[in-house]
Amino acid sequence: MRRLAHLLETRQISSTEVVEHYLAEISKQEPVLNAFITVDAEGALAQAKASDRRRREGQALSPWDGIPIAVKDNISTKGLKTTCASRFLANYVPLFDAEVVSRLKDVGLSIIGKTNLDEFAMGSSTEYSAYGVTCNPHDHERVSGGSSGGSAAAVAAGEVPWSLGTDTGGSIRQPASFCGVVGLKPTYGWVSRYGVVALAPSLDHVGPLARTVEDAALLFSLIAGPDPKDATSSDAREFSIPDWDESFVKGLKIGVPEEFFGEGISPEVEGAVRDCLNALEGWGAELVPISLATNEYAIDTYLTLVTAEASSSLARYDGVRYGVRIPAEDSNTMFARSRSAGFGAEVKRRIMLGTYVLSARQYGAYYEQAQKVRTLIRQDVLEAFKQVDVIITPTTPSTAFRIGAKQSPLEMYLSDLFTAMANLCGIPALNVPCGRDSRGLPLGMQIMGGHFQEELLFRVARLVENHVGVEGEVFSDKL
Amino acid sequence: MLIDRQEVMRMARLARLELSDREIDQYQKDLTSFLSSGQKLQQVDVSAVEGTSHAVAMTHELRKDAVGESLPQAEILSAAPEAMDGFFKVPRIVEEQE
Repeated sequence: MRRLAHLLETRQISSTEVVEHYLAEISKQEPVLNAFITVDAEGALAQAKASDRRRREGQALSPWDGIPIAVKDNISTKGLKTTCASRFLANYVPLFDAEVVSRLKDVGLSIIGKTNLDEFAMGSSTEYSAYGVTCNPHDHERVSGGSSGGSAAAVAAGEVPWSLGTDTGGSIRQPASFCGVVGLKPTYGWVSRYGVVALAPSLDHVGPLARTVEDAALLFSLIAGPDPKDATSSDAREFSIPDWDESFVKGLKIGVPEEFFGEGISPEVEGAVRDCLNALEGWGAELVPISLATNEYAIDTYLTLVTAEASSSLARYDGVRYGVRIPAEDSNTMFARSRSAGFGAEVKRRIMLGTYVLSARQYGAYYEQAQKVRTLIRQDVLEAFKQVDVIITPTTPSTAFRIGAKQSPLEMYLSDLFTAMANLCGIPALNVPCGRDSRGLPLGMQIMGGHFQEELLFRVARLVENHVGVEGEVFSDKL
Repeated sequence: MLIDRQEVMRMARLARLELSDREIDQYQKDLTSFLSSGQKLQQVDVSAVEGTSHAVAMTHELRKDAVGESLPQAEILSAAPEAMDGFFKVPRIVEEQE
């Protein structure tokens, strides 16, 4: 992105040309890929023209002024449809921008469109979108992952230079891994969720997806920071891009948890991660075998909490203030009919489960129990960070699966096996590509750190990126 | 089945969902399989800990109770399926007295 910014600054390229390039890619690829729910060509071009004018007048808002970005369709954009991939919000146009979107606009980025997701971010493949599945750019018969599948696929396919996603149990990292891009789930509270449609507020995060580690770090620096409109961001601070000095790796303690390797993991995934670990060791890092035994409970804990919180978060969709309304004689019937018509099967399933675990008779056995197990998981992880600086695991047990391959909901939920832990603990976790498997599908490595240790994660990821290389430079003819 | 049909229908009522017979069967199966897979959570000894509702320790600060900017009423009502005289319109809740 620095190079693109340089081209814009020296006027070797205009923002209009940049946006036109990406719009052309979108027109070419969307018929197959389906990464976008809404493309705002007119709006993006208008923003690009305004940016070009600012540059001509020496009034650029930032070095990034005029660069386009895609935003997941559960993040509110003023005047631009925000559907959450749900029929319920098919025609919903927000009256305000999410805080992260305001921040992007403040530095001159233009919103080129809204990307596909599983309905209300509930899923791991975008197959639960009301607007069809997003294909994996590396193999169109496979999923892009989810729920931020559209955001990951759009970046991987070169339809957009970078994007925003959300991550409640792995929804940035798993699609980033499947599509071969960098994706960060930040520390809980470092990025405002104001205007981001809630799935499970104690687990929801917003974060960047980009082709390179530096671009992801840069995008993170643009969205991170405190926001009085999000009470959970009160301890957040600003973030600056690291200097990429590599000497930190000498003596860096890398935790390698045995539970994330071996049985049930594709040998190619494990091989690629181990290869990167060996490279890091070669540069002076110390590999420390550790145990995160509580990960055994992470998925069930996560599912209990996410369904409980979702059933409460989605109570607002009642057909009164916005969205679908199916008329009825009395209010309760109107609520029920509107909700039943507007929600897809997975959303209803999670609302049902969540209602059950929160119901008076079951509350102690399920919800309260899960909150306590969450404490044990958190203690386990924070204890590990007393011994090590970062923890490295595969992001997913296998590469992108075939569309339609996961038939049962439980099978789908297991996609989050390695990623949900970071959400339960609020720690930052990042996916960095670490090669391809024999089919040419991207492999991903997860780096986790202690709270507010994003800088360290980016530094380690950058070393891995140097080791495996980056593909697909855009505008290379101009560089 | 860990959960009977009546229980599924009770949950649907609480969640304000109108389900078809087919959906009720499906969710009865799904809830049962979810709850059986979650059984191992029940075995975990949690007697020594409190629950976690927030992953990052933070203290909530009180803010000033000050009037801020808000959106105009007409704009907000424009998104509603039905509005009347500055209100969201819903089906009758309170019956008129005879």
